[in-house]
Amino acid sequence: MFGESGCGKTTLLKLIKKEIAPYGELKGSIIYNNKPIDELPDKLSACEIGFVGQNPDGQIVTDKVWHELAFGLENMGESTNNIRRRVGEMASYFGIQNWYHRSTDSLSGGQKQLLNLASVMAMQPKLLLLDEPTSQLDPIAAADFIATLQKLNREFGLTILLVEHRLEEVFPIADKVIAMDSGKILACGSPVEVAKLLQKSKLSLSLPTAVRIWYGLGSKDVPPMTVRQGKDFLEKHYSQCAGRSVAVDKYSGAETVLEAKNVYFRYEKNLPDVLKNFNIAVTKGEIFSILGGNGTGKTTALNVLSGLDKPYKGSSNVFGKKISKYKGNSLYRNMVAMLPQNPIAVFVQSTVKEDFYELLKAMDVPKDSAEKKVNEVTEIFNIEHLLNKHPYDLSGGEQQKAALAKLMLTEPKIILLDEPTKGLDAFYKESFAHILRKIKDKGVTSIIVTHDVEFAAEVSDRCGLFFDGQIIALDTPNEFFCNNSFYTTAASRISRELFKNAVLCSQVIQLCSNEAGEECP
Amino acid sequence: MKAFSSMHPFVLMIYFLSVLITAMFINNPIIQFSALFGGIAFCGMLTTAKQKLSDIAFYIPLLILISITNPLFSHNGETPLFFMNGNAVTLEAIVYGVFIAVMVIGVMLWCKCYSLIMTSDKFLYLFGRVLPKPAIVMSTALRYIPMLKRQSAKVKKAQKAMGFYTSESYFDRLRFSLRVYSVLIGWSMENAVETAKAMNARGFKLKNHTSYSNYKFKTVDFLLLALNIALIIFVFWGVGSGAVAFSYYPQITHIDTSAFSLAVYSAYLILVFIPFFIEIQERIKWNCYRSKISALHTQRMKKEQ
Amino acid sequence: MKKDILIIFTVVILVAVLLMGTEFQSVDDYYLTHIDDITPQSKTVTLTIDCRDILNNYDKLTPSLKSEKYVPKDGYILNKQKYVLRDGDTAFDVLYRVVRYKKIQFEYQGAEDNPFGSAYVKGINYIYEFSCGESSGWVYKVNGVSPNYGCSKYQLSDGDNLEWVFTCDLNNSYKYSDDKDGDDK
Repeated sequence: MFGESGCGKTTLLKLIKKEIAPYGELKGSIIYNNKPIDELPDKLSACEIGFVGQNPDGQIVTDKVWHELAFGLENMGESTNNIRRRVGEMASYFGIQNWYHRSTDSLSGGQKQLLNLASVMAMQPKLLLLDEPTSQLDPIAAADFIATLQKLNREFGLTILLVEHRLEEVFPIADKVIAMDSGKILACGSPVEVAKLLQKSKLSLSLPTAVRIWYGLGSKDVPPMTVRQGKDFLEKHYSQCAGRSVAVDKYSGAETVLEAKNVYFRYEKNLPDVLKNFNIAVTKGEIFSILGGNGTGKTTALNVLSGLDKPYKGSSNVFGKKISKYKGNSLYRNMVAMLPQNPIAVFVQSTVKEDFYELLKAMDVPKDSAEKKVNEVTEIFNIEHLLNKHPYDLSGGEQQKAALAKLMLTEPKIILLDEPTKGLDAFYKESFAHILRKIKDKGVTSIIVTHDVEFAAEVSDRCGLFFDGQIIALDTPNEFFCNNSFYTTAASRISRELFKNAVLCSQVIQLCSNEAGEECP
Repeated sequence: MKAFSSMHPFVLMIYFLSVLITAMFINNPIIQFSALFGGIAFCGMLTTAKQKLSDIAFYIPLLILISITNPLFSHNGETPLFFMNGNAVTLEAIVYGVFIAVMVIGVMLWCKCYSLIMTSDKFLYLFGRVLPKPAIVMSTALRYIPMLKRQSAKVKKAQKAMGFYTSESYFDRLRFSLRVYSVLIGWSMENAVETAKAMNARGFKLKNHTSYSNYKFKTVDFLLLALNIALIIFVFWGVGSGAVAFSYYPQITHIDTSAFSLAVYSAYLILVFIPFFIEIQERIKWNCYRSKISALHTQRMKKEQ
Repeated sequence: MKKDILIIFTVVILVAVLLMGTEFQSVDDYYLTHIDDITPQSKTVTLTIDCRDILNNYDKLTPSLKSEKYVPKDGYILNKQKYVLRDGDTAFDVLYRVVRYKKIQFEYQGAEDNPFGSAYVKGINYIYEFSCGESSGWVYKVNGVSPNYGCSKYQLSDGDNLEWVFTCDLNNSYKYSDDKDGDDK
């Protein structure tokens, strides 16, 4: 099940599980095994319908992994021997045995989500409901999670109802796909059918790359779903276009605004270096993406660049001046701003508006120009409707926008963004990319740390691959992703045998068409 | 460190309680020294060489400091060494100070072992036997503490990067800390609602809860418990009958060397060295297994040749 | 963390030592006390140190003190005897001078450490407060009456009869003096 944020897919999913059903007026009926769900016995509903939500942290109840696995079974009043067997089974099946005795707090996001799944599975559900379970995970953990779901479905015939907006992997393997829009079902059927139906819809934006390329090329034949099918499709129909390439200019930057030279950083004396001989030079007005695996120290690099963490060796300069030379908060006034991975950390007031004015007051901006500034920012970000809301009541995408808007009030020349697209759907990503370009036009430099290759390929001027404490490869997005074989966009993987330097959907589509705008014969 | 900590939590709890109570309340140098040596032996089994060094660097100065404290404040005793401000500094007070230090350090070492062995899940298990639902709440709370810490660090960093918190004024900083604190409360409420839903989704509201644990009461547990109780009853008997009575003031009494009091001391010595013996036995067993395995291995190699 | 504990501990001890002052004396120096000879002109008081009450409550006495060395058979640590009264001598001064002269073990809390601003006698001849039950301790009487004063604030006059008495029931001996206090008002 997929659809734009706020289209009602999560609400629908939660209504199926009566323990967590949202309050409100309900019409119609939801039938489970020929019985309306509100007539199901409590125990049956708790056991047979399992639910896993999107926040890995929020769903964990206890402090130890083994206890978490046993929690549901304890509630069901199972005997110790029964619980022992089932917990043991689950731990072995999900590969949890190695961290069985650890505390839940020490787990990574991916492990937490796997634990949530395993502890629901221990109750032996017949129907599994999942609400964007991979939205907070990095791509590798997300792929693992989806693979586990597929295995459960294949090996046990478990019915899975999954709400997801990252469709690249999930869409092709689904038996049935439901597209929702404004509380209604827009399309329902096999992936191929739905792909065909959605051609003209705005929902097409969130479909896998292969499908979008197929749309762009006039939708003939059967829509390809996976990278492999996309490749076959291009080979079958566009082999004549082989050898074409996207023209790429070498990047020529203006003056350097942010620079780090031979920076070394570690959190504690006895821990290994997180940054090792880290070098970077970012030029004025560019969007610079730092890509790399999870837990490699990308966020640390941002913290060092923003002056929050101090390196023990090497130096970083902002506008030619050492960061340590900026006294008090002068670095964070009209200079550097940082959007943390969890945008909620930016807000401290009870409405977004109060938060904005508080910041301006702290900056000693007079009242009338403060109002002007707030209006200006609200307009650029298009967040008028969010101003009077509590920050916690905003969706992930809205929080992200409002947080960035708040940072823009300090009129920074450089903004540092940590995983800005985490948990965002395709539409929010699109509008976020749009905002970044707007800011860029104002001469602001952006440095983005991200896992999201598609997003980086779309917005960046340059991309760097972060590995082993330093940036080991640095290039324009086209060069960068075409030289990477694994760490690259789906469009690049689909087209690399035919074309050179194509990394975006639009580029592939363009190369397949000839200069006159017609398709290759 | 596996052997002793794998005992049943109930047995462990009884054991630590008996050692700690006796070490704290029996005022007798032999008992105090036994507790100290038992603590050293057990702690030594649980810590690495580096930790041991840092422990020594801590406990020896502490021993000296506590020892000097007593004669400064207590002037009783028949053997004055010199007078300080008109009050006597006596040999008895110094000796008593040393024994207080021995007792305090012994108790500290045992507490350290306790915290290493009785992990939160063992404690919660015992607690959950008595009060199952509060035990779940406690488990959830234990989970929240590190989460809150992490979130607070995140909020502080984010705010710092917006130029808050860097103000020179202490008052501003304090005000800001308070606000971060209130934000965290809001955040944890938000999280708590989600957790509560997750609990209900997994049937927390159902009746007839059971309490699961990884622990089984084995024969070894029973044996250890029986030995523990027998020894402690014997020691208390000894205390009750005055066989181990001892006093430092006004004159240090002689240690009773009757057969009965010697028996009490030995019983206590055995009690405090139980974990050490168990660990040693485990290591010997393990070495035995290992050499057997390698012997088998060489045998097989020979056969193959 | 561990370092902090050690540092705090050391500082506390140093501060305590500094506050208490550092006047050191050898044992011989301490007991080498001059006591005035009685001449016909000198003012005098009599002093008794009495722990007879313990004999009535012998079961309550700390076991290590159950010896004639500490509790004499007749209950008198110091029999009634005359001593010279110097000008301005208080009930404490006379006692302090005599126990040093007689080499009787003695421990007190100085007036500067005491919340009531008066010296407090903790123990005489190894018999301490609480040595014989929870409400036992040293009190003094002048001419058979307990003054409601700290012992280092009560000035003696010529011919007074000073008794230091170990009582096993402080409450009662105070009650007596409280009543007297009430009469004064």
